[in-house]
Amino acid sequence: MADAGPARVPTLEAIDEKFGPPEQTDQPSGYFRRMVDADWLRRNGVYATLALLIGVNVVITDNFVSSNTLRLQLVQVAPVLIVALGMALVIGTEGIDLSVGATIALAAAIIPLYIGYGAPGAIGLALFAGVVTGSFAGLLVAGVGVQPIVATLGIMVAGRGVANLLGGEIKSIRDPAIVSLGTDSVAGVPYVVVIAGAVSLVVWGVVRHSTYGRQLVAIGGNKRAAELAGLPVKRVLATTYVVSGVLAALAGVLLAARSRASDPTKIGLLMELAAITAVVVGGTPLSGGQVRIVGTIAGALLIQIIGATLIAHDIPDSTAQMVQAVIVVAAVYVQLGVRRANR
Amino acid sequence: MQRTIQYRWRLLAAAGLVSLAAAGCTDSGDDESSPSDASGATGTEGGDDEQVVRTDVTSKGEGCTLEQYGAEPLDLTDAVVGFSQSEPDTAAFRAAETKSIREAAEQVGVKELLVTNANNELPKQISDIQDMLNQGAQFLIVAPVNSDGLDPALAAAKEAGVPVLTIDRKVTNEPCSDYIAFLGSDFYQQGQRAADAMNEATGGEGQVAILLGSSGNNVTDNRNAGFKDQVEERYPGLEIVAEQTANFARDEGQTVTEQLLQSNSEITAIYAHNDEMGLGAVTAVEAAGKAPGDDIKIVSIDGTRNAVQAIVDGQINAVIESNPRFGPLAFETAQKFYDGEAIPEDVIIEDDEYNSENAQENLDKAF
Repeated sequence: MADAGPARVPTLEAIDEKFGPPEQTDQPSGYFRRMVDADWLRRNGVYATLALLIGVNVVITDNFVSSNTLRLQLVQVAPVLIVALGMALVIGTEGIDLSVGATIALAAAIIPLYIGYGAPGAIGLALFAGVVTGSFAGLLVAGVGVQPIVATLGIMVAGRGVANLLGGEIKSIRDPAIVSLGTDSVAGVPYVVVIAGAVSLVVWGVVRHSTYGRQLVAIGGNKRAAELAGLPVKRVLATTYVVSGVLAALAGVLLAARSRASDPTKIGLLMELAAITAVVVGGTPLSGGQVRIVGTIAGALLIQIIGATLIAHDIPDSTAQMVQAVIVVAAVYVQLGVRRANR
Repeated sequence: MQRTIQYRWRLLAAAGLVSLAAAGCTDSGDDESSPSDASGATGTEGGDDEQVVRTDVTSKGEGCTLEQYGAEPLDLTDAVVGFSQSEPDTAAFRAAETKSIREAAEQVGVKELLVTNANNELPKQISDIQDMLNQGAQFLIVAPVNSDGLDPALAAAKEAGVPVLTIDRKVTNEPCSDYIAFLGSDFYQQGQRAADAMNEATGGEGQVAILLGSSGNNVTDNRNAGFKDQVEERYPGLEIVAEQTANFARDEGQTVTEQLLQSNSEITAIYAHNDEMGLGAVTAVEAAGKAPGDDIKIVSIDGTRNAVQAIVDGQINAVIESNPRFGPLAFETAQKFYDGEAIPEDVIIEDDEYNSENAQENLDKAF
C-alpha cells in the first residue's frame, strides 16, 4: 500500500504518539499477537485450517476417506484454482481482475460455436479470447492508467454481454474430444486435475524463479520505486493481465468440457469473487508485493472442502453462507492484524 | 458442487469484500427457468402446446371488470401493446414466452407491439415500463422480475390509465387496482405432481435428494413445498435425504449431485426444481458410474426440449411441464376484459406431464 515515503507520510507510530493509540482496534490484535504470532497465522493459518477441516471430515463424513472423494474434490476445484492462480499474480501487482468470469463465459461460448474446426481449433480460439480480454485489461491498466477495479469491471460487464450475444441459448457439447477432456483420466488422474497441477507448478516456478516474477512482486510492492529502478512496469503489468485472461479462458474450457454444455448467462458467474477469496484466504495481501501460490492452492482447496462438507451434511444454504462469511472475515482480520504488527 | 460452493462463497465474498459487491448485484438469482437447447430451429413451433385454463380451481372474488378497474375501452386491433420480459431470451422458457407473445400479437393484429427485456434487473424493468408508457403503450403485459418492487412502474401505468396484465410470476400488489390479473402456473401443484411422478418412477420406495432453485424465490419455495407436502401425505416410502441449492443452473446441478452421490451412496432418486439442474444430475450420475433414469431416478419441472429428449433416451423419468406460451391466453384475456367480462384474480393454466410413455410423441411440444 502507500507505505512509501517516510518523509511525508506519517507513520502509524507517529500518529499514535500524537493522538494516542487507537485502543479499540488495537487491543484485539494485540491480544491475538500474544496468543499466536499473527504473522505465523497469516502465513500458515490456511494450512492449519485446511488440515483441521480434513481431520474433522475424516471423523464425521461418510465415505470421506476414499480415492473417489479425493478425485471429485480435485476435479471440482480445478477451474477455480486455475483462475485463482492468475488472480494471485494480478493481486501481487496490487491490482484486481474482475473480468475473469466474463472471460470464462466467452471461452465457454466459443467452444460449441467453433467446434466445427475440431477440438484443438475451438480450444485455441477460446484461449485466444482470454488473450483478447487480458490484453484489453492490460492496455487499460498499464497503458491508459485506469484503476484495475474500474478497467476490469467494464470488461466484466461488456464481456458477459458479448458472450450472451455470441452464445445465445445454452448449448450442449457432444464433441468426443471435449467430453473426454472433461471426463477421462490418465493413470487414474483426471485430465482436468493434471492440467490444474501443471498450471500450478508453472505459475509457482515463474513467481519463484523468473525475472518476470521478481519484477511483478517489486512492482506490487512499490510501483514508483520500480519505475525509478528502471523496471519495465507497463510491460509486466500488461503481461500479468494477459496471463490472468488466458488462465480464466482455460478454466472456461474445462468448465464447459466437464458440464458438456455452455451456458453463457451462468457459467463463471461470480467466479472473480471466488478466486479473490481463495487468494486472500491463502495469505496473499490485497496490498500487493507478495504472491503466495501454495497458499492460494490451499485457499481454493479450503473453500472447496468447506462446500463439500456443508453439502454432505445437508446444511441449508443460508447457514452455509454464514459459515463461509466467518472464514473470510477471519482471513481479512488476520491480515489487518499482521499489517499493524509490522509497523 | 464446487460451483454452488463457489456461488455461496462468491455471495458472501461480495459481502466481505464490499468494494466488489457491485459485481454480484446484477444477478438477483430470481430466475424461474433456465436455458435449454440451442440446437435451435426446433422447439419454436409456438402454437404446439397452447395453454389451457384450469377450471377446477375456484377463482377468488367476483373478478375484475373494465368498470371496476376504471380503464377506458380499447380496440386491441388498433392498440399499442407493450410487453416487458423479465429475463434474457437466452433461457428457453423466456425465448418461448417472448415468441408466443409476439406471435399472438400478430395474430390479433395489434397496431404495434413494443417489447423490452429487463435482463433480470428490477430497476431496468421499471424504466422499461415507463419507457413503453412514454411511447404510447395502451395495454401492458408484464412478466415481473420479482414479486415485489414493481410499484413505481405499476403506479405510472395506473396514472396513465394503462391496464397491466401480469404473467408467469405474481406480484404482491393489489389486483384489479394495480394490475388486472395474474396468468400462470400453479407452482405448488407442479411440486405435488412431481411427487406423484417420483412415486411412479421409484415404485414408492426411495431415498430422494432435492436440487433446489435459487433461494428466496417463490418458484423454488412452491415447487419444494408442493413436493414435500405430497410426499409426507401420500408416499411414506419416499424419504427426502438431502435438499441443496443448485440455482436453476445445469453445471451447479451437476457439481451438487456429484457431491451428494459421493457422500451418500444410498440416494436412489433426484427431484430437480427445473430441467437444467435435472440435466446436470444426469451428467453427474453418469460420472459416478451409475445409470441415470435407472439406478438413480430423476424427475424435474419445465418441459424443455433437452429434458424431454432425455426422457426419450431413458435418462430422465418424468418432467412436469411449466407452459411458457402465454401469448394466446394473454390476448384472449385482454379481449375478454375489454368485452366487459370479469377476469378472476388468478388465471391458472393446466400443465402437462412428459414421461416414458408420451415423451416421444410429444417431443415437438417441448420448448
